[in-house]
This record gives sequence, C-alpha cells and structure tokens, in this order.
Amino acid sequence: MTLLELEHVDVFYRDLQATFDVSLKVDEGETVAIIGANGAGKSTLLRAMIGLTQCRNGRIRLAGEDVTRLRCDLLARRGVALVPEGRRLFSSLTVEENLLLAMARARKGPWTLGRVYELFPAMKEFRSHRASDLSGGQQQMVAISRALLTNPRVLLCDELSLGLAPKVISEIYACFDGIRKEGVSIVLVEQDTVRARSASDRLYCLLKGKVRLAARSSTVTPDAIRDAYFGETHA
Amino acid sequence: MSFLPTILNGLMVGGLYGLFGLGLAFAFGIMRIVNIAHGEFIVLGAYIGASLLSVTHMPLPVVIALVAVVTFGLGWALQTVMLNRMIGPNPVPAMVATMGLSIIIRNALVEYYGADIRAIDIGPLQDEGVSIFGTSIGVLPIIIFCTAVLLFVLMHLLLTRTTLGRAFRAAADDFEILETLGFNRKRVYAIAMGLAVTLSAIAGLLLAIRSSYSPYSGVERLLISFEVVIIGGIGSLRGSFLAGLFLGVVQLIGLRINPNSGPLFGHLAFFLILLAQQANLPGLFIRRRT
Repeated sequence: MTLLELEHVDVFYRDLQATFDVSLKVDEGETVAIIGANGAGKSTLLRAMIGLTQCRNGRIRLAGEDVTRLRCDLLARRGVALVPEGRRLFSSLTVEENLLLAMARARKGPWTLGRVYELFPAMKEFRSHRASDLSGGQQQMVAISRALLTNPRVLLCDELSLGLAPKVISEIYACFDGIRKEGVSIVLVEQDTVRARSASDRLYCLLKGKVRLAARSSTVTPDAIRDAYFGETHA
Repeated sequence: MSFLPTILNGLMVGGLYGLFGLGLAFAFGIMRIVNIAHGEFIVLGAYIGASLLSVTHMPLPVVIALVAVVTFGLGWALQTVMLNRMIGPNPVPAMVATMGLSIIIRNALVEYYGADIRAIDIGPLQDEGVSIFGTSIGVLPIIIFCTAVLLFVLMHLLLTRTTLGRAFRAAADDFEILETLGFNRKRVYAIAMGLAVTLSAIAGLLLAIRSSYSPYSGVERLLISFEVVIIGGIGSLRGSFLAGLFLGVVQLIGLRINPNSGPLFGHLAFFLILLAQQANLPGLFIRRRT
C-alpha cells in the first residue's frame, strides 16, 4: 500500500524553484533512495515532505490523506520523522534530553528508550554528555534515535553519510535492517549512489529538480544511474 | 557607620533585579525577541497588584498568584496576537512593535491611575524587623528575597526537569527540528512569553511594595533589566541572579553615600563592567553559554 505520495510537486527554496513537477511514492515498509548531485533539489524535497517548506504546486498524500498544507508539527504527529542533514541535535541539551524531547509528542509504537539503546549500545555511554561534545558518528546515532522515538511511519534521512568516516557510515547503515523490521518506510537522500542503491528497494534520481530516473535498485544499471545523475552531456 | 545593613538590603532588591533580567533574557534567548515593553509589564504588575490589594483586601500571596495568572495571560496574548506574526531572522519588527506597545501601556496607566508616584501599603508587616548579625533587617525584604530565590529555583527545575523546559531550550537551539518532533512552535513561544512577563510582573509587584513606582518607572526598570542581562549573560539563570544582586548592592551603597544619586551608581558600575569587557579583562559575573 502506498504510504507517502507526491504528485507533481513544485517546491521553492526562497524565490528559487528547487523541484519541478516531481512525482514519487513510497510504499509501506519500503526503502526508497533519492539520489542526485549537489543542488538537485533533494533536501528541499525532504523539507516539503515533512512540511518545513510548503510546496507551491502539487499534492502530498500520507496514507491517502491530503497533507499538502499541513503544518510541520502536525505532519510529525501523523508519523513523518526527519534525520536532518548535519544531524542538528539540540546542542545545549544532553543526549538523553534530546531523546526525551522526541518521546514527548510521540505516536504509539515499538520504539522506546530501551529499544534505541539496544540499537546503538554505544549511546548508553555518552547519554549524559552534551550533544555538542559528541563525534559526528555519535551525533548521527542520536539523530536517528531521536527521529525513531517519535515512532514514525516514514523516516526521512538526509545525507546520513555526510562528514562521517567510511567505517562509521557502514555501521550506521548496518542498523537499518533492524529499523526496517519494524515496518517503517525509509526515504534516503544520498549523494553516495553506490550506498544508496545497495540500501534501497527503489531509487529516484533527480537532476536540476526533475526526476530523471525511477527504477528498482536491484535491476538498474550503473550506467543508467550515471546518465541520470550527470545529465545527457555525459553520454 | 556599618555598611552591612545596606549590603543586605541591596541583596534583597537585587534578587528582584535578577528576575527582571531573567524575564528579558528568557524572551530573547528562546525567541530572539527584544521586548521593549518589558519595563511596562513590570510596572503593570505593580498596578494590577495594588488594585487587587486595595479593592479586595486579599492576603499578599493570593494577590501575587492572581497577578501571576493575569500577566501570564497578557504575555501569552501578546505573543499569540502580535509577536508570533513577526518572528523571523530580523528582530527589528518585534522591537518596534513592543516599543509602540510600551508607549500605549504607559499612557493607559497615566490615563487610568494618574501620573503620581505611589507606594503599596501592606500594613504592619512593612515595619517588622528581625536582628541578623547584630543588625536589624526588615521581615518583608527577607520574604521578598526568598520569593525571588524560590522563583529562580522553580525556573531552574522547569528548564531542566520538564518537557516544556527542554522544549524551551531546544527552541533556542533549533526551532525547526523541534517542530519535526511534533511541537507547535507558536504555542511554545506563547508559553515562554507568558512566563517571561509573569516573572517580571511578580518582581515588579514585590519591588513596588518596598519602593515607589509611577507609570513612568518602566523605562528605568527596562534599563536595569538590560544591565542584568548584559552582565549576567543570556543563557544563565545563575548569571542573571548574581548580576541582579550586584546591581542592587551597588545601587544601595551609592544611595547611602549620596542619597540624591538614585540609580546612578548602578549604571556607573554597569558602565565600568562594559569597559572591562571591552578591554578583555575578566568581568565579574560574565558567563557566556558555549
């Protein structure tokens, strides 16, 4: 069943049009990757999905309900969660306070403080540290846990690998199997096409704000991705 | 001639100054709003309290509680009706709007209550005293000081122990992410402004009990609030408290030396601290959130 659906969506970043007529859908329990170069409109699209930026044209549906004009906090309570680019933890709060805040307005669901500490056992050791004192990888664990604790139906992840060591990225991606098991849909925005492809069921490639490629990740060829990623000039 | 009673009295006024600063810093720290009408709300607290005391003859704690409720509502309405429409990266629209509001409140007070200088009389308690360290000190100032300390402690507990308090601190860090966790930003802001105004109005009422006030006192109170915030830092409860105590003590010692000096010595001390900060000398109570 389709959980999140975008129809002909135009989103503007200030006065600049970031996406043109983008349509995509995410099924329940599915992991969808959105790839594309810098400035392709990926992050802006994610902001529209959680209501931080209003889309100017088009529709967004969540589980069949029209949520196009819904405020961000109301969308969040209906089950959309964001792991933002650059983590954006509340830096003056401790790790555990970050997590507690996410639980305060959470939906009912499987994710509890105990469960996220199970997912990232290392987090227990720095739970009382200020969020600003953590390494990038540690921050990413907290950011993912914070989003999970709202018990989302769809988890939006913006550039998880940004600024992290390859080993840490692999650890982060390894935990995604555990998250998927709970039936959460995941939208992965990535610049790293190889990782995005191997972690997803389907992928969309954006070029200059338009969908250039929509394909199953298991069958799409690297050449097709490359052409969509860089545009025609490359071929 | 001993300065001990002067210092003690200064500390007790200073606790209230700390609350003035806390209210101002609270609104600025969370919402980036500089509330120019802050001083008028402080004075408004005094007038509302005085009216309740003279009309209903209720005991002081009840009046304080009522003033708290009313002023919380005023702050909440101020944010909901007016300031929530002006939030954004530019702090100037809200400053201009609250400046206009301060003029309206001030003149409304003159119109309704008259421009004369008043003092609140709460009866025999005003004259009672106890002996501490061999000096006599009023019971009332002690009660007022304890109330101020209590409010600081309650604020500390609120900010560190409750979801609402965490949401306040998180809103100061990154309000967009707070929204993605399901918090209504404008409602969080409205509660924050309600609290900021409440703290200041209660302090204004308590100050009015031990000194005088008029509709024009707001400007002076606002100035003290700014001084407390600048000396004590924005994110620090302890900084506000200590800065308030410092200004209170300096002002009363100044008054003792020259009874006509008014608040002059407090402002002078503030000026010296500003100079010291410019010269990169370690200030007295300078604490910045990192």
